[in-house]
Amino acid sequence: MFKIAAAIIVVLALVIGILPQFTDCQSQGRALALQNGKTVPMKCHWTAIAEIGMAVPLVGVGTVMGVSKRKESCRIIAGLGALLGIFVILFPTRLIGVCASADMLCNSVMKPTLILSGIVIIAISIATLIISERQPEQFA
Amino acid sequence: MNLGQLAWRNIKGNAFRSWVVFLCAMVVAGFSLSAVMIIRGAEDSLRLALNRLGADIIVVPEGAETKVETALLMGKPVKVWMPQENLDKIARIPGVAVASPQLYLSSLSNASCCSVSEMFMVAFDPKTDFTIEPWLKQKLGHELRLGESVGGSNVFTPEGEENIKLYGYFITLKGNLTSTGTGLDQTMFLTFETAQDVARISKTRAERPLEIPANSISAALVKVQPGSDPRSVALDIMQKVPGVTPIESPNMFQTFRQQIMGLLRGMLLILSITLVLSLVLISLIFSMAANERRRELGVLRALGATRGFVFQSILAEAVMLAVDGGAVGIALACLATFLFRDLLVRSLGIPFLLPSLPSLVTLIGGGLVLALSGVTLAALIPAFKISRQDPALAMRE
Repeated sequence: MFKIAAAIIVVLALVIGILPQFTDCQSQGRALALQNGKTVPMKCHWTAIAEIGMAVPLVGVGTVMGVSKRKESCRIIAGLGALLGIFVILFPTRLIGVCASADMLCNSVMKPTLILSGIVIIAISIATLIISERQPEQFA
Repeated sequence: MNLGQLAWRNIKGNAFRSWVVFLCAMVVAGFSLSAVMIIRGAEDSLRLALNRLGADIIVVPEGAETKVETALLMGKPVKVWMPQENLDKIARIPGVAVASPQLYLSSLSNASCCSVSEMFMVAFDPKTDFTIEPWLKQKLGHELRLGESVGGSNVFTPEGEENIKLYGYFITLKGNLTSTGTGLDQTMFLTFETAQDVARISKTRAERPLEIPANSISAALVKVQPGSDPRSVALDIMQKVPGVTPIESPNMFQTFRQQIMGLLRGMLLILSITLVLSLVLISLIFSMAANERRRELGVLRALGATRGFVFQSILAEAVMLAVDGGAVGIALACLATFLFRDLLVRSLGIPFLLPSLPSLVTLIGGGLVLALSGVTLAALIPAFKISRQDPALAMRE
């Protein structure tokens, strides 16, 4: 049970880390043009970078959850997973955001994928937390 | 130990088997729910778009029917023109109550003089309009002034700015219409006067000027008099006004209706294949499980469990897996359809509107019932067979 949950978290962490790098506006050759002629990346690019910072610890969470045999450590890891899941959702929606136009790939693909992945990670983490609470010490 | 606890222990006892049944239920419920949501969403969207247009007949230049329908439904800008004198000819036809002209325009693509790229813009005549004007009077309390506009639900003023810049002209967005799930949601509505002013200013301020051919209109919306037959009025228009095509309201968006029907057929086929394969797989799994647990069930019978109890314990296991798998599948389908709706609209090429809450609850119920009945049906025969077996024989094997 926990091994399956861990595997799903690792796969989703990889999606969170890799997919935004290919769906942000920077990867589509779009950037903001300044009046002095220079270009700067749009905010979806910074969201994509921030998500790498969420994906790396999530891979760790998944790996530890897969090998952990202690109830305590599994509980802490599941809590951390839920917290990271919340941040996965918050980066594209509140903290940084993505481009406003519905036509842009960052809005139609990157943002929904991150939200969906975040929700699934939170759900799995909470389920793991609840199940690990109910189980005896040696459960893995 | 009660029936539920026994079923739960059996589920935990063979994790792989339980996961397969769980996944089958999840796929059946999730796929059926999203398929129904997409088809119904497309139909609702078409219906709302027709209501929004509010015309009995739309008269467009001959040969431009599909282009105009695509523009109205998918928000893809179109440039079609016909002489303005057609409007007077249409208005004089018996049975026509009002004929109102519209101009179909678009913003420039990736130009610094336009803050929105390739947006579909509809200019209307406030004197004759019967589609936007009633809404304006109700919501704003006045008509649109020069430089003002209203937009579909997805039209917004760019972050940090007060107006929308189009062709170097600053337009104030006064309000947003309710969502239809169609291209009308990405469409800006403005008056003829504002459109002409934008065209005038664009000559000096835009990368490319907005061109509105003199004495031309893109389409005429017609409302027929009460008691008149729209079909005979449309026929009259076709005979008396050359170079135009009248489209009756019920016949609007035929291309999209056909597309939705094609999509429905495709989805039904995939859904049927998924359902049949899942049922066969679940049936096989429960047969295998029943065979594996022959001794265990024989002991249960020897200890006094009735045939009915054995039968019910296997069915309870199937029901628990179906409900859990179905619930997860439904939750994922709802989330994915909601989050990826823009991508769906663009990749399938059809409009889409999310269902209302009561409608969604009904659909969720339907998805759960489908998963539950499918899994229970598949487990029925193995459960019946094993419960009929003689306990002495079962324990000896």
